[in-house]
Amino acid sequence: MAATPALLELVSVGRRLAGRAVLRDVSFSLRRDDVLGLLGVNGAGKSTTLAIIAGVLQPDAGSVLIDGKNATDDVRTMRDRIGWVPESVPLWPELTVIEALDACGRLRGLSKPARKTALERELARLELTDLAQRLCGQLSLGQKRRVGLAQALLHEPDLLVLDEPGNGLDPVQAAQLRELIGKLKPGRGIILSSHDLAEVEAMCNRVVILHDSRVRLDAPLETRRGKLDAQFRSIAAQPASAAA
Amino acid sequence: MSALAVARIDLKRLAVRPFAWTLAGIALAMMAWQFLLGLSAFMHAQPVVPGPAAGPGFIDAVVAPYLLNYIQLCLVIVPLITMQALAGERGAQRLALLTASGATAAQIVLGKFTARLVFLWLLLVIVATMPLVLGGATHPDWGQFGAALVASALCVAALAAIGVACSAFTPEPALAATAALLIGEGLSLIDAGVRISGGEGGWLGYLALHTHLAPAMRGLVRSEDIVYFLIIIVLALALAIRRIAAERERG
Repeated sequence: MAATPALLELVSVGRRLAGRAVLRDVSFSLRRDDVLGLLGVNGAGKSTTLAIIAGVLQPDAGSVLIDGKNATDDVRTMRDRIGWVPESVPLWPELTVIEALDACGRLRGLSKPARKTALERELARLELTDLAQRLCGQLSLGQKRRVGLAQALLHEPDLLVLDEPGNGLDPVQAAQLRELIGKLKPGRGIILSSHDLAEVEAMCNRVVILHDSRVRLDAPLETRRGKLDAQFRSIAAQPASAAA
Repeated sequence: MSALAVARIDLKRLAVRPFAWTLAGIALAMMAWQFLLGLSAFMHAQPVVPGPAAGPGFIDAVVAPYLLNYIQLCLVIVPLITMQALAGERGAQRLALLTASGATAAQIVLGKFTARLVFLWLLLVIVATMPLVLGGATHPDWGQFGAALVASALCVAALAAIGVACSAFTPEPALAATAALLIGEGLSLIDAGVRISGGEGGWLGYLALHTHLAPAMRGLVRSEDIVYFLIIIVLALALAIRRIAAERERG
């Protein structure tokens, strides 16, 4: 019997930006119920990797497979299967939370009854009911992150892509985020980027370390607990290659 | 479907933005003032003793110059309305959000264009209402009025398409507005020298907005004028779509 394909698979993905190689031969995979932490210093290529997975950027080389099917050229697959929350949550400051989420539902092609159900579900799940009529431009960073997550979850995606989800959150909000990711994990795959080891250790069961545009470590976290800090420091200390 | 969703979001945003309403308020106040001036001049030019109608009528003397003035005003206000369409969205990653939501470049550009066009056409309807309220008293030539209105609507659409295209090509809204203003003014003035010297415009004349507005203001709807405006709209939107589609590749 053929093995079930991974939910997400990156095969030799490469990308150049402004004449510089940002990603080179990046390959890793993610299965359902996995929470994969993408670690790396600033400029390692984490956000670019996530933007390629989300379909916002096109890879120069390689491919992104969702359930074994090439997603890079298939907008519909990307839209239906992936929910993406970039580092700075893109909201429309003039719209209320409920209007912004409704607009996102329309963009994803949800019917009116489906939008209503999805809005009620996500407002409750992310504790946004009290903020529903508040303008997005008036929200705090933590609240914006929750609205960002709500828009990414409206269509119940199989794969959740979170770029630096804990960045700028206070300890209480960070703990709430960890709890939320634990709740969201069953039945879907989650990939999140971070440069915070503690955050990755608390939320993820697998880790990929990117350095100098390449994958330097891809391993289950349970085998690395306690050793990850030293390993990350050792990888991050390696000089970047001069190759462009 | 996504183009309509994008248009809906942008219309909602325009509707709550003080900038758009302030601009609309200023434009309408200026147009009302110009209409009253034109009407006053027309009234003074009327013979005191009633007799057979002679000379230019209400549409020729008041409405056509009034709509041409509105087009001149649009050369300035349309770039201000369109400058944020795509240029302002990039920095805040809202363009990326639309792409990640599955909207294609064509849907994004058409949605942004439609929202601005609806807003600008709404302004045109209000501007046209001013002469319309005198319709019962002045016996206007409705055909001529309709032709002038159609040409004005097409011209506004062409200027909006140019504005959206400029917004697609630069990350700075101010640069987008400046570029759209320069292109609009360029199209408006390109044959000015030839016109002043009384010569034939040739291909310069064909490029000029005035060449394609003037016949409609006299009540003549020519297919070549409609094609001219449609070419500008299609060309500008195609360039914008191409630029936004390339964003996934360029980064």
